[in-house]
Amino acid sequence: MPPYHSISELSFPGTGACTHAAGPSEIECEVMRLFEQFRDPLLRYALSFGICMHDAEEVIQEVFLSLFRHLQLGRSRKNLRGWVFRVTHNLALKQRYANQGSRVRMNADETNMHEQSDPSPNPEEHLSNAQRRQRLLAVVNALGEAEQHCIRLRAEGLRYREIAEVLGISLGSVSVLLARSIERLIRADGR
Amino acid sequence: MLRDELHISDEELLQAVDGELGTRRAAQVQAHLAACWNCRARVTDIEAAIAGLVRAQRQTNQPKLPSADGPRALLRAELAELARQPAIHSAIHSVIHAWMRRTWINPARLTAISLAVAMSGLFGGLILFHRASHGLNGNTASLERGVLPESNLTPGATRAVSIGEVCSILHEQVVREVSDSVRKQVFEEYGIKNARSEDYEIDYLIAPGLGGTDYIQNLWPQPSWNVKWSSYVKDELEERLHQMVCSGDLDLPTAQREIASDWIAAYKKYFHTEAPPSRIGASVLPDLTQQSAGGNI
Repeated sequence: MPPYHSISELSFPGTGACTHAAGPSEIECEVMRLFEQFRDPLLRYALSFGICMHDAEEVIQEVFLSLFRHLQLGRSRKNLRGWVFRVTHNLALKQRYANQGSRVRMNADETNMHEQSDPSPNPEEHLSNAQRRQRLLAVVNALGEAEQHCIRLRAEGLRYREIAEVLGISLGSVSVLLARSIERLIRADGR
Repeated sequence: MLRDELHISDEELLQAVDGELGTRRAAQVQAHLAACWNCRARVTDIEAAIAGLVRAQRQTNQPKLPSADGPRALLRAELAELARQPAIHSAIHSVIHAWMRRTWINPARLTAISLAVAMSGLFGGLILFHRASHGLNGNTASLERGVLPESNLTPGATRAVSIGEVCSILHEQVVREVSDSVRKQVFEEYGIKNARSEDYEIDYLIAPGLGGTDYIQNLWPQPSWNVKWSSYVKDELEERLHQMVCSGDLDLPTAQREIASDWIAAYKKYFHTEAPPSRIGASVLPDLTQQSAGGNI
């Protein structure tokens, strides 16, 4: 099993600006490197809470500002990937609560759905692939909230232990929730 | 799902696919797969479902993500601003130290000042010790700060629950104690793992009686005494909200949202008061903000 990533283990492009004496501090550079690495996965995860793109972007900004403060205070650098996902999870939840009173909840997979053109050669295959895609996404949207979180986090590459930490549940629960979700996907696929 | 004892469970097959099994068990599963067509077919199903889901997600959400250029620039500017703050503080310290060096350059005077500082430190220490022995410990300020949870650690979490379910039992019957391991985890998360356990209660931000879950995102170490806005005050609010939800005076999502965003503001709103009654608030310590204004801390 691959170990958790610490900042020192991750390599990022564009670090030259950080070596300049008058440039940003080492911690700023580390945060920017992690931003490059995790911004898209975190944004996708934040959107899965049904918040709009603008709110999700704000959540991600706050996550990395919190990360900066976290590192500045000399707090633990162990598994920062899990840390940023956990803070994203918490802030996105908070944002969703804040939105509940003022807006109708949007479904991320509906509002943000922009389909790429399917490279399949013939119309029948194209239709069949599109139907399968819709079926699978519908299954994911119909899963319980904990199952959805598990499967989305796993799809972003998190290990079971990291998912457990993000969601505050046991390792065994992660395994059960994932297996149950996959089982439903298999059934929906008619296998 | 294959449940036959002769076969590997789906859960373990998924763990095997994900590389989450221990070395020994992984080898056993691999040996079984080499011999068992059923389980191998099941692994293929699992892999196909994962591949299908990944493709579906890639073809829907992925292209919609906006460019990171704007957020990147904004973050860089905000980080630079944050990074400057401690620098300003150290600059002020440098100026003060330089001024002191210029004004009090006489070594004898410096020694006298050092002695005075040491004595005042000792005296201050004795005062703190005295206050600690009477419950007014130096920890009070941090307790007072903890009356509201940190939103990034404890945003609140709810479960799907109907009004009927919420109102079918009394509020106090659904309040559950959290386990020692969760309690320890919450303390660690808040960086107070060495705090006295009697000073804090692990509280649900959104009470179970209002649909709150026992996920760690809904738990925080709330000062149980010695503060004006103690856990006992929040208990009263929870009961009031529960009654209002069940009598139809307040909808459940609003109750959840208000208690999660700022429970003290919710208390003031629903009890029409600026302060809790002294019988449930801290009896030994008035509002810190008022004390500070009086300069009596």
